[in-house]
Amino acid sequence: MINYIGYIIAIASAVILGLILRLPLLPEKPIRQSWTISVIFPTAVLAIGFTAIISKLGYHLIGYQEYLVALVIGVLTAIFSKFILERILPPPVQEEVS
Amino acid sequence: MNEIIGIIIAAIISWFNFVLIDTWMGLPEMPGVKGADVLGRDIKKRGGDLAGGFFQGNIVCSPDASAGTLLAAIGCYSIGTPEGGFIAATLVYIGNRLCADPGYAGTTGALTITVIIVATSFIGITPAMFIVGMLLAIVTIQGIYHSGSSKLLGKIAQRMGRYTKLT
Repeated sequence: MINYIGYIIAIASAVILGLILRLPLLPEKPIRQSWTISVIFPTAVLAIGFTAIISKLGYHLIGYQEYLVALVIGVLTAIFSKFILERILPPPVQEEVS
Repeated sequence: MNEIIGIIIAAIISWFNFVLIDTWMGLPEMPGVKGADVLGRDIKKRGGDLAGGFFQGNIVCSPDASAGTLLAAIGCYSIGTPEGGFIAATLVYIGNRLCADPGYAGTTGALTITVIIVATSFIGITPAMFIVGMLLAIVTIQGIYHSGSSKLLGKIAQRMGRYTKLT
């Protein structure tokens, strides 16, 4: 189990590495129609989700280990958002209107 | 808490959660895919509202806040609160991207209902009540009378400045 401090560490590490990797902080406006991958959405949301998945796998983590795992999840999530997400889940191709 | 009262409260909360978030995220503004367009125009032909029809078409064609709300409640019930809700939000995001949707409505709906489930657990409303409540909430929109529900959704869209500009 990873407690709430672990979630905060995962989000913080994902956000910081995301910014270092030059992901934008927020998608361009209007945000609700934007497909841009940014630090807040979806990187931070994915960091929370991946942390929850790892947390529920049932490993017994002691003391600082859970914070270390959370840090690694955050780092991997930022790398996933920057380099892999758009390849496996690309935006839809707009059809030409005839 | 009494089960029936809990389910009614959960249904009302879920209804407002998904209708307000979906409208705010612009579901009534335009159809995301062709299927939503067809559904919206069909509902308008049967005496409904076009923006409400697009809303209904969009929630059929991709997992928006309605699916996010239901899946987060199921996640909290089966995996635990709040981890199940967080896992549901991630899976809904992936589902959204597969369904040609940027994913804001679904993930926001899943995360907000997770917070609501955590908050209402203190007054005795369980995730199981939210599952039943959300099913009842979605039946009122999609399952009883499309023309009436689309007009109500259209009015909410007008109030929130998200009415469609399409004709």
